[in-house]
Amino acid sequence: MFAYYFQLGLRSLRKNPLLTALMVMAIGFGVAASMTTYSVFRATSNNPIPQKSSQLFVPQIDNWGPEDAQQNQGEPPRAMSYTDAIGLMRDHKAKRQTALYPAGLSIVPADASQLPFRENTYGVYADAFPMFDIPFKYGRGWTQADDDAHAQVAVIGQQLNEKLFRGENSVGREINLDGRSYRIVGVMDHWDPQPLFFDAVNTGGFDDPTQLFVPFTRMIELKVSTNGNNNCNKDPGTGWDNWLHSECVWLGFWAELPSKAEADAYRSYLNGYAAEQQRAGRFKWAPNTRLRNVVEWLDYQKVVPPEAKISLLVALGFLVICLVNTIGLLLAKFMRRSSEIGVRRALGASRREIYTQFLIEASAVGLAGGLLGLLLTGVGVYGISLIFDPQVARLAKLDVPLVLLTLLVAILATVIAAFYPTWRAAQVQPAWQLKSN
Amino acid sequence: MLKMTHLSKVYRTEVVETYALRDFNIDVKEGEFVAVTGPSGSGKTTFLTIAGLLETFTGGEYHLDGVEVSNLNDNARSKIRNEKIGFIFQAFNLIPDLNVYDNVEVPLRYRGMKALERKQRIMDALERVGLASRAKHYPAELSGGQQQRVAIARALAGSPRLLLADEPTGNLDTQMARGVMELLEEIHREGATIVMVTHDPELATRAQRNVHVIDGQVVDLAEDPRFHQQQARAGAPA
Amino acid sequence: MLQIKPILAALKRHKAGTILIAMQIALTLAIVCNALFIIQQRVDRLSRPTGMDENNVLAIQNRWVSVDGKDTAPLIKADVQALRQTPGVQDAFATNSFPLRGGGWSTGVNLVPKNEGKSTAQTTLYFVDDHALAVYGAQLIAGRNFTADEVITADPKDIKSTAQVIVTKALADKLYPKGDALGKQLYLGGKDIPPSTIIGIVARLQVPWNGTWSDNFNDNAMLLPVQLTSNYTIYLIRAKPGQLADVVNSAPAALLKTSRMRVISGDRAVRTYEQVRGDAYKNDRGMAILMGVICVILLAITAAGIVGLTSFWVGQRRKQIGVRRALGATKRDILSYFLTENLMIGVAGVVIGVGLAIGMNLWMVSQFEMARLSIVYVVVGVVALLLLGQAAVLAPAMRAAKVPPVEATRSV
Repeated sequence: MFAYYFQLGLRSLRKNPLLTALMVMAIGFGVAASMTTYSVFRATSNNPIPQKSSQLFVPQIDNWGPEDAQQNQGEPPRAMSYTDAIGLMRDHKAKRQTALYPAGLSIVPADASQLPFRENTYGVYADAFPMFDIPFKYGRGWTQADDDAHAQVAVIGQQLNEKLFRGENSVGREINLDGRSYRIVGVMDHWDPQPLFFDAVNTGGFDDPTQLFVPFTRMIELKVSTNGNNNCNKDPGTGWDNWLHSECVWLGFWAELPSKAEADAYRSYLNGYAAEQQRAGRFKWAPNTRLRNVVEWLDYQKVVPPEAKISLLVALGFLVICLVNTIGLLLAKFMRRSSEIGVRRALGASRREIYTQFLIEASAVGLAGGLLGLLLTGVGVYGISLIFDPQVARLAKLDVPLVLLTLLVAILATVIAAFYPTWRAAQVQPAWQLKSN
Repeated sequence: MLKMTHLSKVYRTEVVETYALRDFNIDVKEGEFVAVTGPSGSGKTTFLTIAGLLETFTGGEYHLDGVEVSNLNDNARSKIRNEKIGFIFQAFNLIPDLNVYDNVEVPLRYRGMKALERKQRIMDALERVGLASRAKHYPAELSGGQQQRVAIARALAGSPRLLLADEPTGNLDTQMARGVMELLEEIHREGATIVMVTHDPELATRAQRNVHVIDGQVVDLAEDPRFHQQQARAGAPA
Repeated sequence: MLQIKPILAALKRHKAGTILIAMQIALTLAIVCNALFIIQQRVDRLSRPTGMDENNVLAIQNRWVSVDGKDTAPLIKADVQALRQTPGVQDAFATNSFPLRGGGWSTGVNLVPKNEGKSTAQTTLYFVDDHALAVYGAQLIAGRNFTADEVITADPKDIKSTAQVIVTKALADKLYPKGDALGKQLYLGGKDIPPSTIIGIVARLQVPWNGTWSDNFNDNAMLLPVQLTSNYTIYLIRAKPGQLADVVNSAPAALLKTSRMRVISGDRAVRTYEQVRGDAYKNDRGMAILMGVICVILLAITAAGIVGLTSFWVGQRRKQIGVRRALGATKRDILSYFLTENLMIGVAGVVIGVGLAIGMNLWMVSQFEMARLSIVYVVVGVVALLLLGQAAVLAPAMRAAKVPPVEATRSV
């Protein structure tokens, strides 16, 4: 029966090529617009580290006071001062923790004929590697002892290893950063979390994969300033040391808290820490702290670009209009055949069979619309770089799930759109149309 | 009132020319009730569509109410249809989307009549066909005879000089048909000119005068052998 | 000729089709209004002037390698010297940022010493020398330029203020609304930081940012005569007319010739100002294009829907059109019947659509820091959709008008 109805559907669609083309195009464009924008939305609202997103937390401590917090809905600064980051590191209340910042270092190739270049570089603590589940191809991260010793060691990325050492195992070899030699202890495997959750503040969530990690402690000792944002609520005074111990915020901080109990304990620890600062006279206000996990943090940082939300919204509206359009056209198409329906009913077709026949015909339209939509989605994904930063655009891909989703949405949407016209068609009385009009 | 001389109507396709009417002559006087009869395919319906300015003709002349109509443009023809002619169709041809009142109003609307006068005429016409109480009903809610009465009311509402009826009882059962015929006769007695096309000889006898059409031509019944045969058959006991 | 009542009666019998077309018009209006509004906002944004003569300007971002920041002063001096002597270069200077760069310094300005709390005005700081105005191509409308003697050398973490500053007219007017800013003083910090004197006013110079957050101080800029000693330096270069293409290659080469221990790499290292502008407004332009494309497709689909459904209606009503013609309707009557019918559906649609458009905008205002929809866009959208409907219905309506009156006598 299915094959028969499908055949009937195709024949009927061929009979009205213009109407059919209109429907297919409406569905195709509607689905393509939605899917293209959805591909961006999906990429930007992705959970970058699903296995640990509820265990990794960003603590925030208000070291600026209510007057500044007021301009920010009462929220503490998004970054941390050196004083607080070191305080939290020293107290070591989480299973693992790291302060981090993008370090402004350049790589000087051993080959003097090559020019120095830069890669995304972060100063971190040893805990960062197991915390962020960073995969290694060769070697491993450095140790806490290296942190304490301010060791001049480095972990490099796969691409950088390819560039400098042609992909060989470079563990134990040296890399020259700003004229100083660092010993390579590990080479990462491909690691490109999207969004780049661990430094959403400076990157907006999207940047090229990090290629270089160096010990935070060594960077501070070498007075390597941040390559990211530095915000001060008042004049930090003159020179590196004044700045380091000022209330300027410029550091990221992450804590690994595997259970809810640990997270709750850390929350009260943060409040205790702030209260202690208040007692010591550094804070002249009540503790104001936050503890957000990865998903909450990315949401708070608004890493999904407003463009992605607006265009997804507009595209969904677009799809709705295309569906309304399809309902109208299907209605026209089905009702035009009321005499045929009457005859079929007279010949013994039940309502149910009329339903089946017309819904299958609609599915055929949906499938055709889906295929066109797929093609247009391909074009759309290709054109995304027009609107979004290349860092975001590169994430929007037409992969297998998106292909399946596109077809599914097209068929489902069309069948839903077909319900009302089909219902109307099934209301046609048997043979009514055989009598005179 | 209605005068056709040497009128012809040719349907052309790529391969053949078909004469629907040839050398067709008829003269209907003011106040006459003429029945046009003939077997199906004889051209009587074509005659009616041309008489009603629904179609153009190929050759000859047609004077309606003293006006030669062959050179009139579409708008002028619409105006004549609207003001001088009333149509009664076999299939009633009421507009299903409109109720009885709105259906009767249609020709008056096209005449650009004032609302008050329209209302007066519609109610008069419905009164006349005995359906004033059904003004708010839709065609689908009426019987066939009632629908045809509405159609007649619609034809009468514009006070046309000429009523053209095409098998007005063809879709009705005997009892309803009788009612419709009596209505037409009554309208005729009140002075209307009526031309009715029918294939029913019994119906035709109720008209003042019969015109017989065969193969697109008016034939003189007295001289045509086919007439005698038919008379003989009609006269034979069933 | 108006036939509103009978048309309404007929539409009541075709509720589904009527509602579908009206709904489609309403939704299309809602989206088109908002899309047009977004386009206009983005276009407004990207047509804001920078205050510069943008032709022939080149920006190079340079980072020193293996050099301590405080030791870079002579290197930068040598670089600027080399750039100014490069063939095709008209002038050049070293700075921390420039309009539309994307990142830079901002600070509060006051008429009295003040270290905390709200300032009189927010401004960006550009650290420049006496060649800056020439390279910007900015128009000095009052006072004078810096002299070479006034340019000091300082570390970014140490510099708090300079004795002389040049400000934009927007900033001058904000600080001194009476228009007498020239020669007056301003403060960039607390009591321990010496005041600065306004020695010149330029007509306009945009901030480095183009996001909404800097919209309220978009034209507040201050030039300070400082040569920053920093690991990170930007060179802004003005090429001689017609020689920009050569300078794009020769300027970085000249820098590498003076010293190789530097990084000038990446997408944004060497950019003509045209590229800078393109990068800065990429999202805005893209959004405007996207919204434009969506509007066009949407209107096309809505028009197609109207054509489709009206064609169906005409096909369904051939007989009654014939009857109307038989009863004396002219072709014009039939045409105007369908046009009027569409207009009525359209009016119903736009009435709902205006509500939807405003609702959608209010929602976006609450979600995305967007401005309130101007009524002009609603009016434009309403007129556009009504005209679109009439245009779309024209073809099927003309086909309806061509139905011959003899159709009335045909049985289906």
